[in-house]
Amino acid sequence: MNFCLVGLSHKTAPVEVREQLAFPEDDLPTALHAALALPEVSEAVILSTCNRVEILARAETDDGNIGPALGRFLAEFRHRDFAEIERYLYEYRQRDALRHIFRVASSLDSMVIGESQILGQVKSAYAIARACGALGGTLEEVLTRSFAVAKQIRTETGIASSAVSVSYAAVELAKKIFGSLEGKRILLIGAGKMSELAAKHLLNSGAAGIFVANRTPERAEELAATLQGRAVPFDQILQYAAQCDILISSTGAPGFIVSKADAQQVLTERRNRPIFLIDIAVPRNIDPESNKLDNLFLYDIDDLQQVVNANLKERLREAHRGEQIAEQEVERLLSRLKTLDVVPTIIDLRTRLEEIRVQELARMSSQLGDLTPAQREAVEAITRGMVNKILHPPVSHLKTLAQQPDGLKLVETVRRIFNLKP
Amino acid sequence: MQLLWLRVALALYSLGLLHSILTVVGRKQRVFRVALGATALGAVFHLVALVEGGLATQHFPVTTLQEATSLAAFLLAGSFLLVYWRYRFHSISVFVFPLMFVLTFASALDQGETYAGLPLLRTAWLYVHVSLIILGYTALFLTFVAGVMYLIQERELKSKKPRAFYHRLPPLEAIDDLAYKSLSIGFPFITLGIISGGLWASSVWGSAWPLDPKIALSFITWLIYLSLVFARWSVGWRGRKAAYFAIAGFVAMLVTWGTNTGLHSFVSP
Repeated sequence: MNFCLVGLSHKTAPVEVREQLAFPEDDLPTALHAALALPEVSEAVILSTCNRVEILARAETDDGNIGPALGRFLAEFRHRDFAEIERYLYEYRQRDALRHIFRVASSLDSMVIGESQILGQVKSAYAIARACGALGGTLEEVLTRSFAVAKQIRTETGIASSAVSVSYAAVELAKKIFGSLEGKRILLIGAGKMSELAAKHLLNSGAAGIFVANRTPERAEELAATLQGRAVPFDQILQYAAQCDILISSTGAPGFIVSKADAQQVLTERRNRPIFLIDIAVPRNIDPESNKLDNLFLYDIDDLQQVVNANLKERLREAHRGEQIAEQEVERLLSRLKTLDVVPTIIDLRTRLEEIRVQELARMSSQLGDLTPAQREAVEAITRGMVNKILHPPVSHLKTLAQQPDGLKLVETVRRIFNLKP
Repeated sequence: MQLLWLRVALALYSLGLLHSILTVVGRKQRVFRVALGATALGAVFHLVALVEGGLATQHFPVTTLQEATSLAAFLLAGSFLLVYWRYRFHSISVFVFPLMFVLTFASALDQGETYAGLPLLRTAWLYVHVSLIILGYTALFLTFVAGVMYLIQERELKSKKPRAFYHRLPPLEAIDDLAYKSLSIGFPFITLGIISGGLWASSVWGSAWPLDPKIALSFITWLIYLSLVFARWSVGWRGRKAAYFAIAGFVAMLVTWGTNTGLHSFVSP
């Protein structure tokens, strides 16, 4: 049983190279069959996303040529020159290949550690390989285990637990201040991608409604329609601010549109209920001195970025633990695969039955004592013949069926029912 | 038997103490589920101990310092479980578990003398007054804890450099909600407790009772909480200012509790 993984990722190749090698989903079945046609390759799966293209294969024997063969295959199938992409490719064998696929599935190798898309992408690559018959028992076991490990790492470590984009960080902070966002209202002043995104996230997380204000009334109407909110006049923003719990500001105004005194007034009108101000504008719209007021929390774009950076650092720390978990799981998988290898199982089965045969003959030797050598030979032949006939169907089934996706379960079952030591 | 149940409860509460220590020292919440289960189980044993004690001495168990301490610890355990059920605050346990343990430990040390024999104490006023005060103190302790948590969390949010605590403390509004609710339970209880105490005292000690140190201090405590309640209601004081007052009130409570001279002392008169 030999594993080999070859490919390139955002860590080794720029997007111009990656896009040349990317496999359209419709081509995957053809590609997989072509990969299976390579000498020694018995199982294969191809993973192609915007950040990586990899092929993981199981080969019967490994003479060291599998890696380059797979690399060449990737290039040729995509009609590229192997010599050009060769330097971007990496090759992992045996344990390293398993570790790599575990890391990839758990998003430890992703651009943003902890991202959730990659697992779905690996699952879909698995489904396609399975559907077109490119998966055998071994890779089936490897990939299904990788999903479990990914889930384990995501739940047991903090790699996916905190916000790593500015708009999500804003939502996270709002939740830390208000608890649930239900019933909370938003006032959006100005316009802009980031503020729109933050507003959308807040609404998705349960915020009740949104007012939109803009110097240009038509723009306010437009935005309000997209967000299913209400447009309000720009000169009344302070009054509306008093009714809102979250304020997002991103106008192009050259100076402050909300002074500290304005903020104090809003607080008083709100009877000091807390208010969260997000100032994404540069130059800033809200006087930073306002943050000194009680029950008011003002975050500008740098502050939000700081929160994101702190969270990213946290993710990196957690990633270490994820790596440890991946390593442990690779060990477990390898020992399990070793026990489920077909050939040792057949050997063990034969050995067990032969043991029984010899033992039974030995027990009966006293009663067989008065047989002629010819008769004793006949008894040996009978017992051997019985053992062979009993073994024949299980062994041939093991040899053929074990190659199929559920094959390893068959091997496991045989080991269990014949009580072969694990 | 009663002492045995109390000691079993103490042993279970010690798991809570362990959790608090580990959580403060380490970075993650450890053994919380175990500590929570142990506390709930311990509270059951504690209740059994209280009921048995009460039945054995034929009165509601508040006549001695030891009994009152035990009751206070039990109410603390009960109110923590209530708060957890309602709010699911894990972090509040770091404050509550150690105090529960200490109080139970103190009350499980030995039986102490029962003063029910004294004519002074053989009245229903005793049960009413002490129970009300203990209930009030327990609720106001939670207000104090909420105040401290609020100050920590608010500082984290204002400083914009979230550190370890930020992630583990509950949302600000939820903390303030707990402070508000526990205040609105605690304040009426201590008010009634002081009134009942006053009525009782004037019937026993004559008109000089308000000058007794402990009683005078309890008035001051009560005034602090009164101003807190009033400020919340009228001008919407909340958050940081309310937290400061809750802390001041708790300190006053401790001073009141600790003052043992004059007429109203816990030691034998």
